[in-house]
Amino acid sequence: MTEPLHFMMGQFKAPIPQDRFYSPRHLWLKEITPGRFQVGFTAYSLRLLQDIYFLEWSIDPETIVRDKQEIGEIESAKAVSSMFPPFAGKVVAFNPRLLIDPSGINADNYGNGWLYEFETNQTPLSAAGYIEFLNSAWDDAQKTIKGQVNES
Amino acid sequence: MAGSKVTVVISQAQGRNPIKRQLEEDIATALIAEPGIDVSLVPHLYDMSQDHSGMLFLRSVPGNVVVLGWLYERAIRWTLDRANIRGKDGMTLLKSADEESDDDEEEEDTRQYNGIGSVNVPNRRVYCIDLRASVSADAFVREIRRISEENSVQTVDLMSWIGGSPQPEQLQRYLQPERLLEARRAFDSGSATHVDKATLPEDTGRRWYPVIDYSRCTNCMECIDFCLFGVYGVDALDRILVEQQDNCKKGCPACSRVCPENAIIFPQHKQPAIAGAEGEVSGLKIDLTKLFGGDSGESAVEMAIKERDRELILDGREAVGMSVGIKQKVREEMDQLIADLDALEF
Repeated sequence: MTEPLHFMMGQFKAPIPQDRFYSPRHLWLKEITPGRFQVGFTAYSLRLLQDIYFLEWSIDPETIVRDKQEIGEIESAKAVSSMFPPFAGKVVAFNPRLLIDPSGINADNYGNGWLYEFETNQTPLSAAGYIEFLNSAWDDAQKTIKGQVNES
Repeated sequence: MAGSKVTVVISQAQGRNPIKRQLEEDIATALIAEPGIDVSLVPHLYDMSQDHSGMLFLRSVPGNVVVLGWLYERAIRWTLDRANIRGKDGMTLLKSADEESDDDEEEEDTRQYNGIGSVNVPNRRVYCIDLRASVSADAFVREIRRISEENSVQTVDLMSWIGGSPQPEQLQRYLQPERLLEARRAFDSGSATHVDKATLPEDTGRRWYPVIDYSRCTNCMECIDFCLFGVYGVDALDRILVEQQDNCKKGCPACSRVCPENAIIFPQHKQPAIAGAEGEVSGLKIDLTKLFGGDSGESAVEMAIKERDRELILDGREAVGMSVGIKQKVREEMDQLIADLDALEF
């Protein structure tokens, strides 16, 4: 198996496996059948979120979603966020394990901690493409986070 | 030795969720037979108005009291406080579920709160227990036995804090827990007679209003300046007070977001930090929405302003944005966030 790529977040080394695709929304997509993907959080997202203890979906399975459509909410020890699909497409089913206990995301974010199954015809990023995106976006990401501190 | 008695009051869940109903019933049934313990049930604590008979009953309870409800302990404690049901903080070993799940958070939550505290606190203990802390009635019964033993040697100055003049007839129903449970079962199964219906407490609708935690509140008045709906006022001692609870706008937690001490609880809000969970890191969290694809990465203050403007517009009033009630103190909250971010070790 190909070694995962890595992205350095300060001291933290975030693994980015090469056996799947990515979205700039910091989600991975793994094709399970043609056009149908499992979607989950990347190590990069999890490093920002840390321990997740609240996850709620605001849409039903089998819902067609736009890009940037809000589909749920997440709360962790460090952060809150609305959730968005990786691209426009269809959210087919949610991971039932996480509905009981969202900490499964922390336990195995690239495996059993997948979030939902998703159908899309958009072209996702490769692992290398995602790293490139992270490199270009890292300064902005830090600004976004720290900017919330300095505004107002 | 009447002073050694412990009264257990179960604040019932909203709606008729059978699992919650069963847990309440199992706890009540086990405690009815328990010596030294009186048990009763009241409607959902947060939904009762100040003059609801259940609230009057709670106010009439002398001595040590254990209140169990489907709320965080802090939400129970300070909802009671607002209703003039006070006492020294009883330590419970059964904690809300969210708190134990993040052990490493506890070390980080080193923030010291220097609130103005409550006033006229009588010499008795009030124990607050979150019914979501366990699914087993046994766990609650064991904890209540422990509390009962802890208080069995104490003598308490009875009567001194019983204010007002409760109507005994109105409160009789709360002194007969078996009858209450029976009436409730009949009601749930649709076979309630008019006698059953007369036994049950008055209906309560779902309410929404802020609850102030005075162990954190510093009386800074940010909330009264921010809220434009006349919810807040001050009491005779110039202490901030949730004066007109029902003026509050359903779903709007904006004042809680601008509170520099995270002292304002909305027990029914979905975010644990706002609903009264302990052990949060300053309560103000980083919003990653922008990184995850949203158009805005909003700070707590920005969210509060948006929420307030929305309610103003719904009321047919003008949105005010940042122009009203945002003060310097917000910066202190921001300093706390900087500290949290440094802990992320970028």
